[in-house]
Amino acid sequence: MAAAIETKKLTKTYRSRQLGKINVVNELDLHVEEGEIFGFLGPNGAGKTTTIKMLLGIIYPTHGEGYVLGREIGDMDVHRVISYLPERPYYYEHMTGFELLKFYDSLFGNHDPDKCQRLLERVNLAGDASKTINQYSKGMQQRVGLAQSLLNDPKLLFLDEPTGGLDPIAHREIRDLILSFRDEGRTVFISSHELSEVELICDRVAIIHKGEIARQGRLTELLKGGRIEITLQGIDEGLARKLATGGTLHNLSDGYMLDMPEEEDVNAVVDTVRSAKGSIVSMVPRKKRLEDLFVETVRAATPGAAPKLAAEGGV
Amino acid sequence: MKDSKKKTLLAIAAILFVFQGFFNVQIIHPQWTRDYSLGKQSLASGLGADQAFLELLGFREFLAGMLWVRGDTFFETGNYDAVLPIIRLVTILDPKNIDVYSTGMWHIGYNFTDEEQRSDRRYLPTALALGKEGCANNSETYELYYEEAWLWYHKIDDDYPQAVKWLSIANEHPDITPARKNLMRNALERDGKPEEALQLLYKLKDQAQQDYNQDKNYEARNDLETLINNIDTTVVRLVQRGNIAEKNGWYASGDYDTKNPFDVGFSAKVTVTEPKVIVVEGTWNVLPVGTRVRVILRDANLPHSVPGSMDWDAMATSVQLDPPKNETYMQDQLFVRNRRFNRRIDMSKDPTMYPFSGDKYLIEFYYNPRSAPPHIQDKFGWNGEGMTDSNFLRLDARPDNERVVYTTLEISRDQLLQQGAYAGKVTVLKTKNYHDTAIPTDSLDDVIMVPSLRNSGATSASTSSGAAPGGKAAANAVINSLGGGN
Amino acid sequence: MNAIWAIASSTVGEAIRRKVLLVILLIALLLLSIIPALGVLSARSEMSAMISTIFFVIRFTSALIAIILTIYMIPNEIERRTIYTILCKPVQRWQFLLGKYFGAVLALALMMGIMTALSLVMFWFLKHPDASKMAEVAKQPILYLVEMSLLAAIAIFFSTFVAPLVNFFISTGLWLVGTVLNPLYDSFATNPQTAPIMKTMAKLITSILPNFANYDVKNPILHPGVVIQNEASYYLKTVGYGFMYIAILLILGIVVFDRREV
Repeated sequence: MAAAIETKKLTKTYRSRQLGKINVVNELDLHVEEGEIFGFLGPNGAGKTTTIKMLLGIIYPTHGEGYVLGREIGDMDVHRVISYLPERPYYYEHMTGFELLKFYDSLFGNHDPDKCQRLLERVNLAGDASKTINQYSKGMQQRVGLAQSLLNDPKLLFLDEPTGGLDPIAHREIRDLILSFRDEGRTVFISSHELSEVELICDRVAIIHKGEIARQGRLTELLKGGRIEITLQGIDEGLARKLATGGTLHNLSDGYMLDMPEEEDVNAVVDTVRSAKGSIVSMVPRKKRLEDLFVETVRAATPGAAPKLAAEGGV
Repeated sequence: MKDSKKKTLLAIAAILFVFQGFFNVQIIHPQWTRDYSLGKQSLASGLGADQAFLELLGFREFLAGMLWVRGDTFFETGNYDAVLPIIRLVTILDPKNIDVYSTGMWHIGYNFTDEEQRSDRRYLPTALALGKEGCANNSETYELYYEEAWLWYHKIDDDYPQAVKWLSIANEHPDITPARKNLMRNALERDGKPEEALQLLYKLKDQAQQDYNQDKNYEARNDLETLINNIDTTVVRLVQRGNIAEKNGWYASGDYDTKNPFDVGFSAKVTVTEPKVIVVEGTWNVLPVGTRVRVILRDANLPHSVPGSMDWDAMATSVQLDPPKNETYMQDQLFVRNRRFNRRIDMSKDPTMYPFSGDKYLIEFYYNPRSAPPHIQDKFGWNGEGMTDSNFLRLDARPDNERVVYTTLEISRDQLLQQGAYAGKVTVLKTKNYHDTAIPTDSLDDVIMVPSLRNSGATSASTSSGAAPGGKAAANAVINSLGGGN
Repeated sequence: MNAIWAIASSTVGEAIRRKVLLVILLIALLLLSIIPALGVLSARSEMSAMISTIFFVIRFTSALIAIILTIYMIPNEIERRTIYTILCKPVQRWQFLLGKYFGAVLALALMMGIMTALSLVMFWFLKHPDASKMAEVAKQPILYLVEMSLLAAIAIFFSTFVAPLVNFFISTGLWLVGTVLNPLYDSFATNPQTAPIMKTMAKLITSILPNFANYDVKNPILHPGVVIQNEASYYLKTVGYGFMYIAILLILGIVVFDRREV
C-alpha cells in the first residue's frame, strides 16, 4: 500500500524570548498508509496541530520533508483531494447549513447544490439545512464540519479533535461517520487525546510527545501484553504456587488470585484446577488499554514530569 | 508563493509607489488646490481642539453655522466685542458664507461706537480687508463686491474711485439685481464723472426697457421709470450746472448755476471746555441745510493719514481683530444751521477709543463738495466748480486738483486733557479768520441762492457780489421753497 | 476568481450582520435624518450647510466602518480557526486576502450607498433641487468610497502583521493625517517664512503618505458659483491614484501574509 502521509525529520522551531529556541515538532517521521484510520495522539502542546498545519501547508516547516498523497507539502494541488476539520472551528454564523456547504463548495470552484443537500442528509442535518449555524448545537456544528470536509470527496481527511467537547450521543454519531469514511476507502488522520475514541476506531496510532514520536504502530500490536486474573478456590497452596509459575499469586481470604500474562496457556491452568476438583470463581481478562500505553509512553519519555504530563494528557 | 514571483510583485509595488508620489504631488495636488481647496486659510488657528478636529474632518461649514448662531446672541445683547472673533472664525471655517462676510463688514465698520454714536474708524481697515478677503473667496457673486463698494461710498464717503472700482466689478456679475446697479451712477457722480453716470443710465435704461418688454411686471416697470427719471434729472443738472457747456466750450459765455464760485466763508474755533471735551464752532455761509463739515481729531503723526481722511485702502491689508490701541482718531460731522455750526464733542467717556497716548494732535476740518447733497451741488457743481473759500480752498489735498475746503489746528495732549501747564486752563484755538461775530446772521447778502429744478433754470444763483439776476426776493422764495430758510 | 468572489460575498454577509457596524450605521442614519433641523444654523446657505453636514456624517461614519470592519477581519478568521477550513481548500493566501478586501469594499459600498440614498431622498423631499443638483451631490460619496477603499486597504495591510487595537490607531492616524495633507502642504508651500527644509519635508510626506484630502471635492458642490475645469479628469486622476495606492498596499499585504504563521 502507498503512503498517504510520509514525513522525514519534519521539524518546526519557534523562537521565544523567554525560552529561546523551541522545537515544537522535532524530527518527526510519520508514516500513514492509505485507507486506514490513523490516530495521532499526544498531550496538549505535544505538537499535533502544528504537525497537521505543516502537512496542510498552512505553516511552513523549519526543516525536514513531508509528503501528502505523494506530493511535497505546500503543493496546492493536493488541497483538491484532502480536507481538514480544525478543532472547534467557528463557521460563518450568519449562514445556514446549506449556505455554508455551498460556500465551501465554491472554494473548489464548484456549484453543486444537490451534492450539498446529499451531504447534509448524510450527516443527518437535512432537516436543519435552513437553520443558521448559530442555531446549531456543538454536535450539529461538528457534523456540518464533517459534511464540508466531504465536499471534495477527499482521499485523505485530517480531523483535529473531532469529538472534543461533545456529549456521548454526538460522540457516537461522529464515530460512526468516521468509520464510514474508512469503509469508503478514505484515509483518516485523527488528532486526539480522547484515547477511548481512538482505540475504538483507529487502525494505527502514533504517540507524539514534546514534538517527537514516542510510539508508532498498529493498535493491535501496541496493545499486546494484556493480563488475565483467575480467582481460584478449593485447591491447596502447593498447586496454586505451581500454577503461578507464569504469573504472580495473591492470597485471598477464601482462595487465591492468579495474575498471568494473556499469552500464557490459560487453558492448561483451567484444566489443572478442574482435575484437582478446585473451582474457578472468575476469570477476568485485563486487556492492555491505549490509556495504559499512553501513560506508559509519556512516562518513559519524561520520567521526571510523568504524573503531571499524564494529567495534562487527560488520561 | 515563489520567491521570484514575490520579487516581481515587490518591484511592481516599488514602481507604483514612486509613481503615486509623483502623481499625487505634481498632478493631482495643484488641481486640488486650485479647485477644491476651501479658502485661503487652510488651517485655522485659534480653534479649540474639538473644533479643530471637526474642522479637519471637513465639518467646517457646520461648525461655522454653530458659531454664527452663538454670534447672533451676542449681537442681540450688544456684546459686539465678542462677535468680532466669531466673525473671524466663521469666515475662516466657511469662507463661502457670504452672509457672515457682509454682516461682519457692516458690523465692524459701523457698530463699534463711542457713547455719542461716533464709530471707531480704527476698525475700518479690518472691515475693508474682510471684504477684500470675502470677495476673493466668493468671486462668483456680486454681493461682497457691492458690500465693499458700499463701505467706500457710504461709510468712508471719500476716495470715490474706490467705490467705483468695486462697483464696476459687482456690476459685471450677472447675478446683480437691476436696482443695485443704479448705485454706480451715484458713485460716478461723486467721483466727479456725471457724464459717465449719464452714459451708464442710458445703458441701464436700454436694458430695463428690454426686460420690461419681455415681462411687463411691476418691478420692471418701476425700474424703467426710475431710470428714465434719473436720466431726466441728470440731463437737466448737466445743463444747469454748466457741464454740457463746459464740454462744448461755451461755458464762459453762458449763465450757469455754478457761476461764479461762491465763497463759503469757513472759519472755526475749538474750545477745550473740560478734559477731553471740545466745543467746535464756526461759520459756513450757506443757508440751506445739508452741509456737513467733517471734523477729525487725531494723532498728529498718524501713519497713512491724508488730509481729512486716511489712506484706508493701504491700511486694509489684513483682518486685524484688534485696532491699534494707542492711536486716537475721532471723526465727526459739523451740521450747519443758520450758517453756523456748534458741536460739543465729548471724548472723555471712551478711553479705549480715544487713548490720547501721543503728545501732539491735529484737528482737521474738511469739506468735499462731491459728498454734498444735490441741492447744494446745484450751486457747487459735482466737482466744486461753484464753490470757493477765500482762506481754505485747497487744490492739493486730493488728486486731480479737486476743490475741497481743508484746514487744521494743532493741539497738544496737555491742552486737550487740561493737564501739565494747562491744568485747569481752557484752551481756545481759532482759524485765523475767526471772529466771534464773523458774519452777521441777520444779513442774507452773501447767502447763496440755490436754484430750483422746478423753475426750469429760471432762477440762477446769486453770488456774494449780489449781482445775480432775480434778486434777493426770488432767492428768498427759492430758499423757502426748499424749506431751508429760517 | 471563483474563490475570491465566494470569500468576498461571505465577507459582505458577515459584515452586514456585525452588530457594532450596524449600530454605527444606525446612528449615522439617525444623524442624517435630523440634519434638516440643523439648517437654521446657516440662514441663507441652508442648502450648503445641509449638504456639507450630510457629507461630513457620511465621510466620518464610513471611515469608522471601514476601519472597524477591516482591522478585525483577518485576526478574527485566525482566532476562530475559520481560516484553516478555507486555506486547506484549493485557495491561495492571496486569493483569501483579496477576497476579504473586496468583501470589505463591497460591504462599505453597500453601507455608504444606504447613507447616500437616505440623504438624497431627504434632500429631494425637503429642498426639491433640480436633477443636476442631485447628481452633483451624489458625486462626492463616490469619491468617498474610493477614499474608504484606500483606508480599508491600509487597515487590511496592517492587519496582516499587527494586532487589531494597534492597527486601529495606525489606520485612524493615517486617515486623519491624510485628510489634512493637502491643506498642510499648502500652508507650508505658500508661507514665505517656511524654511526650505520644511517645504521639502512637507513635499516628501505628501508624496509618501496616502492622501485622503484629494477626495474632498465638496467645495464646488456646496458653492455652485465655483467653476471647475476638467472636473472629469480630476475625478479620473484621483480615482487612479487611489487604485495605485490600493494596489501597492495589497501587494505588500499579500507578500507579508504569504509567510505569516497563522
